[in-house]
Amino acid sequence: MLKSTIVDTRVRLRPSKKLLDLLGEQKEHLKELPANLAKILEKNGYSIANSTRIIRDDEVVCKRPQIDVKLLNKLTANLPDVPSNAQEINELPEEEVEEEPKQPLTGDFLYLNDLHFLNSTLTELRRNNIINVFLYELIESCELILPENEYKPRNPELEARCQRLRDEQQNREYHKMTKNVDATLKHIPEDTVAYQLKSINKQIIAVAQFIFSVAAGFTFGFFGVNLMVGPLPFGFRILLGVIVALVIALAEMYFLAKKLHEYDEVLDAPKRKTPNSPKASGVQILQKPHVD
Amino acid sequence: MSEKNTKNERSAAGELLDSLYLDMFHLIEAHTQCRIDIERTSSDGSILLARTKFQQGGQSLSTAQIPAENSAEFNALCRVKKAADEDISIERHPVDKENGYVEPLYWFSVLPPMSLRSAVDKFKRTIDLIAESANLQRELSRVLDGINRLRQTVALQ
Repeated sequence: MLKSTIVDTRVRLRPSKKLLDLLGEQKEHLKELPANLAKILEKNGYSIANSTRIIRDDEVVCKRPQIDVKLLNKLTANLPDVPSNAQEINELPEEEVEEEPKQPLTGDFLYLNDLHFLNSTLTELRRNNIINVFLYELIESCELILPENEYKPRNPELEARCQRLRDEQQNREYHKMTKNVDATLKHIPEDTVAYQLKSINKQIIAVAQFIFSVAAGFTFGFFGVNLMVGPLPFGFRILLGVIVALVIALAEMYFLAKKLHEYDEVLDAPKRKTPNSPKASGVQILQKPHVD
Repeated sequence: MSEKNTKNERSAAGELLDSLYLDMFHLIEAHTQCRIDIERTSSDGSILLARTKFQQGGQSLSTAQIPAENSAEFNALCRVKKAADEDISIERHPVDKENGYVEPLYWFSVLPPMSLRSAVDKFKRTIDLIAESANLQRELSRVLDGINRLRQTVALQ
């Protein structure tokens, strides 16, 4: 199983029956209602008053509230430092409350802007002395669903491919290790005369290219410039030729070194598998390639 | 008189608790977003690093390029600093060879490839995000603590 990235970062609340009941009772006082909340209410069999305006979710003001730290400190100042046991005691009865309304409500969640809307609505209602309920009393009975990683199984094709590549790699290492020991592996091309002659040929060609281009550079400096500009003294012509040849030699040297280095790497790497080797069948590859 | 006062205080506490809860939700979302960003930037950086290695060939790097025990000392370019309010912030020093602030990017080559440069940028961004995430987490725990304490006082009344 693989953990995938969290897609939805929103905090979700499963609305409790208490919350929906309250909203259903107060429907004539609700001037507007976010679309999500309206949908949940209708789904759970609460009617919405006709005067209620449905607003889009992004119209709700959703801003981090300012915390009055002074007030918080003042209110909690005379509180004795209670150990965290008290917290556990508080949590226990809550869970019991949660159990009941869980079943009838599924699939609908309150999001942060709904909560903001609820908060402002409740503040409004409290100010008009219609009800005296706080948001925390309502959400205490709701189930909080935190954003979580989804688990999804690894693609079996990918798994098979990884396994095959791993086996090939191990097999190659094993080949390399046992090359000198085992007589049955003598047919590996690195050890035949033809292969080595071929590789020497390649190197000779590379060096010859280098020599040719340097010689051509020298010729250009020695004859070409003389032909273009007119008669030059012999010493100056040699100097020109050497300078041009040197520049070309430097550039060419870089590429030559790079090529030879790559070539060494290829030599070090053991033989590649033949293309018609069994595909993705781990069993056959896992066997030792020679007779014990 | 005192009754009204208690009532006022109670409603103030209730509103405070409401806003604390909302703040908690905001912080949880921000923290999750931050963690996702960390995940994304660091995996981007790793991919770019892998690409650099792929382009340069497996043997172009050696441990000799990394400073060992007896090489010259240098200062860190990036430090974690405690700002006001116990928040942490990342302080970066400009590269200054005379005073020992060397850029580690140039340990490996004079002209680092583009992918290595962008990998460095990604990882720098990740460090910033990690500091941000730590700050958010601290703030979140402060809010949770506030909620717990306030609920006890509300329960007492």
